Amino acid sequence: MAESKKETFMANIWKNNPVIVQILGICSALAVTNNMTNTLIMGIGLTFATGFSSLTISALRKYIPKNVRMIVQVLIIATYVIILDIVLKAYLPSISKALGPYVGLIITNCIIMGRAEAYAQSHGPVLSFIDGVSAGVGYSLILLLIAFIRELLGFGSIFGLRVLPESFTPWVIMITAPSAFFIIGTIIWIARTPLVKKK
Amino acid sequence: MRDYFKTGITLMIITVIAAFALSAVYSIVKEPIANAELGAKLLAIRSVLKDSTSGGSLVSDERIPSTAGDLAKFEWSPSGFQVEDGIIYRSDNGRGKVDNPVYRFTSDDGREIYIAIASAVGYGGDVKTMASFISTGTGLKLNGIKVLEYSQETPGLGANIANSDIQKRFYPVEPSGLERELKVNKDAGVTPIGEEIDLKRETEGIVTVTDVMTGATITPRAVTVSINTMYQFLKKAGVK
Repeated sequence: MAESKKETFMANIWKNNPVIVQILGICSALAVTNNMTNTLIMGIGLTFATGFSSLTISALRKYIPKNVRMIVQVLIIATYVIILDIVLKAYLPSISKALGPYVGLIITNCIIMGRAEAYAQSHGPVLSFIDGVSAGVGYSLILLLIAFIRELLGFGSIFGLRVLPESFTPWVIMITAPSAFFIIGTIIWIARTPLVKKK
Repeated sequence: MRDYFKTGITLMIITVIAAFALSAVYSIVKEPIANAELGAKLLAIRSVLKDSTSGGSLVSDERIPSTAGDLAKFEWSPSGFQVEDGIIYRSDNGRGKVDNPVYRFTSDDGREIYIAIASAVGYGGDVKTMASFISTGTGLKLNGIKVLEYSQETPGLGANIANSDIQKRFYPVEPSGLERELKVNKDAGVTPIGEEIDLKRETEGIVTVTDVMTGATITPRAVTVSINTMYQFLKKAGVK
């Protein structure tokens, strides 16, 4: 276990980024990125869920029988996500409404399950927590980048604040999911070129 | 055999701990959730009590309820309806449902105002709409609406129903328009423009949304179904 905490953290932000390198969590990347506020909350939510479920799964890894570990992982993930869901409902009702079913869908987000299987199962709680949080942060950064482009061109605003002049005609395609496909594709292409070259 | 038991017991312990954690959090946030829902409802009532023609308030500010207790005083239960699972009325075709309770206010100039909440199926789930109707003596007039729940609708398409400028396309509607049933312009087969938009809606009940909600007809259709159901209900309750 020679990995340092910093290395673990940075790996998920860049060279092992869940969205652009592992191509995970694309469903929500398409769905919630048409405005930055929702994206930010979604990112924080996912970071919270991944961090704590990785921590819990790692802490319990020696007690969970191998053959039912997936069931237990989903149960732990679901518990955190539902906690997140009801807390959002209570304190941020309008955002909870706007995010709709996507908060619940964090449960099925492959990033969390992926980190649990690939990392938390074989590492200590502290490193797993850092790994989970950084996977969440890596995911959020890419989503915010997509949301920035989509909200700017689709609504002419950033975080709901109008920045482009009234004369700007919003691009309707930026509001709908297909635009996220193009943007993610482009980002992956640009970001991975140096990564691939290095190899 | 022993392994099965061990596995079962481990699973059980984890499930019980998870259930306890959830119930603990839920008991903490139960009240804020209820408050948030009540707050949203009261805010919606305030907005549908705005006179859609003059822009002023139909009921003076101090008479608009601000607590759950206050609001309960305005509950209205007409005879001849049975409440089932919190639903007081289902439309004849079964597509719309009116929630219990329905509220009755009296405007500052003495007119009766009925506020109800109804839901109908949208693109991904129920779309809930609150509407206020003014009793004119010769028929009901739709004064205002507020779409309360649309969380299953597509962001950027159906979810645009949250936009108050789009909701303004649904009201006011004169009794003649309500009597002919509200429908979206696509179903009516017309595309009104300019001043025609208001005219077609007020007298014929045709709601024009195709220009502001391109590609999303199902969500506004659910709103019209809800409004029609509330109208049907009030008519059956004998309100004129």
